[in-house]
Amino acid sequence: MAVSANLLAAPVAAPLLIAALILLLARWGGRRLIRHQIALTALALCFNFAVALLIFQATAGQGERLVLQMGAWSAPYGITVYGDGLSATLLLLTALVALAVYPFAVATIDYHRARMGFHPLYLFLLMGVNGAFLSGDLFNLYVFFEVLLMASFVLLTIGAQPAQTNSGIRYVVLNLLASTVFLVAAGIAYGTLGTLNMAQIAERLPLASPAVRTLFAGLLLVGFGSKAAIFPLFFWLPASYHTPPPAVTALFGGLLTKVGVYTLFRSFTLFFPELLISWQPTLLTIAGATMLVGALGALAQPGIRRVLSFHIISHVGFMLMGLAVALSGNKLAIGFGLGAAVLYLCHHMIIKTALIMAGGAVELHMGSDRLASIGGLVTRHPFLAFLFFMAAISLAGVPPFSGFVSKLSLLQITLDTRHWLVSGVSIFASLLTMLNMMRLWRESFWGDYKRPSRVPTRILQSSLRQRLMLTPIAVLVLLSLGLGILGGPAFRLSMRVAQQALDRQAYIDAVSPAATFSTKPPSHFVPTTATVPTFLTENAADLARSPFVPSP
Amino acid sequence: MISLLLAFAVGSLFACGAYMIMRRGQIKLILGLGLLSHGVNLLLFGSGRLAEGRPPIFLDKDSYAETIAWSLPADPLPQALILTAIVISFGITAFVIVLVNRRHTITATDYVHGEFVPLLKEGDPFDFSEPSEIDQYDWLAYEVDEVYDSDEPLSGMPPRPPSEHDESAAMEEDNYQWP
Repeated sequence: MAVSANLLAAPVAAPLLIAALILLLARWGGRRLIRHQIALTALALCFNFAVALLIFQATAGQGERLVLQMGAWSAPYGITVYGDGLSATLLLLTALVALAVYPFAVATIDYHRARMGFHPLYLFLLMGVNGAFLSGDLFNLYVFFEVLLMASFVLLTIGAQPAQTNSGIRYVVLNLLASTVFLVAAGIAYGTLGTLNMAQIAERLPLASPAVRTLFAGLLLVGFGSKAAIFPLFFWLPASYHTPPPAVTALFGGLLTKVGVYTLFRSFTLFFPELLISWQPTLLTIAGATMLVGALGALAQPGIRRVLSFHIISHVGFMLMGLAVALSGNKLAIGFGLGAAVLYLCHHMIIKTALIMAGGAVELHMGSDRLASIGGLVTRHPFLAFLFFMAAISLAGVPPFSGFVSKLSLLQITLDTRHWLVSGVSIFASLLTMLNMMRLWRESFWGDYKRPSRVPTRILQSSLRQRLMLTPIAVLVLLSLGLGILGGPAFRLSMRVAQQALDRQAYIDAVSPAATFSTKPPSHFVPTTATVPTFLTENAADLARSPFVPSP
Repeated sequence: MISLLLAFAVGSLFACGAYMIMRRGQIKLILGLGLLSHGVNLLLFGSGRLAEGRPPIFLDKDSYAETIAWSLPADPLPQALILTAIVISFGITAFVIVLVNRRHTITATDYVHGEFVPLLKEGDPFDFSEPSEIDQYDWLAYEVDEVYDSDEPLSGMPPRPPSEHDESAAMEEDNYQWP
């Protein structure tokens, strides 16, 4: 089924319009119509999920590239919206996570926060994330980053509890610094290359001087890396993720750092694939340090959500490792690392959201998430205990869950390319993850039941709310199980996605920036004789025989 | 010459912004963020090349090609970028001011059990050492209606908001019912 490229506007437009409608209704009908807000938000989320499925089916399923030039202005002048397999995969997972967290949020968010506009903010965040995945223009990417950051600022601090405002300042300032670095990168790109369109940047960057390329790549690595919470730049994440309501943490943990990871994937594969080889030691060092620091930091944390937020950092390291080895190895296995990283990304988004929600349910039952003051839930809430256990072992990488398949494929490519040290570190980090999960399980579910000093009885006495809380966790755990059992097809699909993302010439051709007068580089543009990497295109015949590429 | 001046201006704005952010005190934090965003705006301005006496538009459609051949027009795009960046940083600055104000209100005036307790350490939002009890847990504050089966006093809880924020009252008033 052919899908019109106009569909790409829907994941941005639908949440925006419905959020605006909710705000209007709240204005006219008083702020009391929470039920209507819930219904409209759920409608928007379902619509978004359906659209994401259609886009995914067209791009990742059939290998198309959807390009929408807004207002029919051709490429460098107008706004380019671009969707390929990588964006569509993330779009679909984002829609899934948002749809899964929403019932949990409806069940646990208090009336006060709902009245302050929780539901429209949820949609604004979704809109920003979707826009960042679909953007084909560097400045629009910045704008969507700011949209999602603004929504996340408010979601983080809504309710204005002391801890929330305290952590809110750290989160806001560190994220603003990252945005500033990214904006500097965009300014430098415009000043030296004369364009902000990503396809055109990719076209011109190999001709730019090495200094410009290095500077641009370094600024993007710092800017996107601190959104993705890589090693020296992750401090905003553990400082803030434990303070908002667990529904917000689950949404953030599922979505926000993944935008940074996606932009790292996109910029490194599109703009400077050659740096994936020349910077490989640096990237691998960062990846190893990120894994290790995340896992070790989690070991020292006293609460469930603090442990889980450190594990987000650890897992970003795994994805970065996949990116770093994406182009090494034999030519037949080009993209193997990136494909494994994409599969890991899917696994991580699904299971981390489920685990944070399960942790949030534990918090609701015990009134606290401090491991010292909880315990003995397994007899009282066996189903919750079962779900938590399944999610935890999936995160730790036990077969037959998705964690096993994704970790195995990442480890395989890293060992194949003879990066012994980083693969050893990743195994060690996985062991630490296992240890941490067992610690969480033991402290919160085993032992004597510790009577909570305060609990939200209104939530806990409603069986509907209980069901709304537990059903999405169960669905996500089942999805993780399915991804693990269907590991082969899922891996082939993610390989196809990775190879589509690595084919930069096809990206440029699909967007096809018009060659008119102002596409000439600026007068001080100094072309060099840098070699354009051709290893991605010269082996088309080899690639066709590759066992990783499904035959058409 | 003028571009050198611009480079110095951008550099000193960045330096001042970074310095202000790293100082203690929340007002300086806000000022530092403002200076940094000004620095970026100026950098974006410079990215469009500093040209003198070149209009950004063509009035005469027929002499289009000659105008380009003689001299490139000034680039209007950086101004649009700066305008967007200014709007965004304006909104964010407003938000940060409200956030800092709220934090200050909590720090200065919150009372627990009748006596003054500094809930947060005054001044330094980046103090990561030893989270206090209140830093651990309070998202349930609006939800906890009653404490059952426990004689222990509430520890580390902020006081219940006054009736204006009282959820049960608001719910009755709004005829709000859970399905």
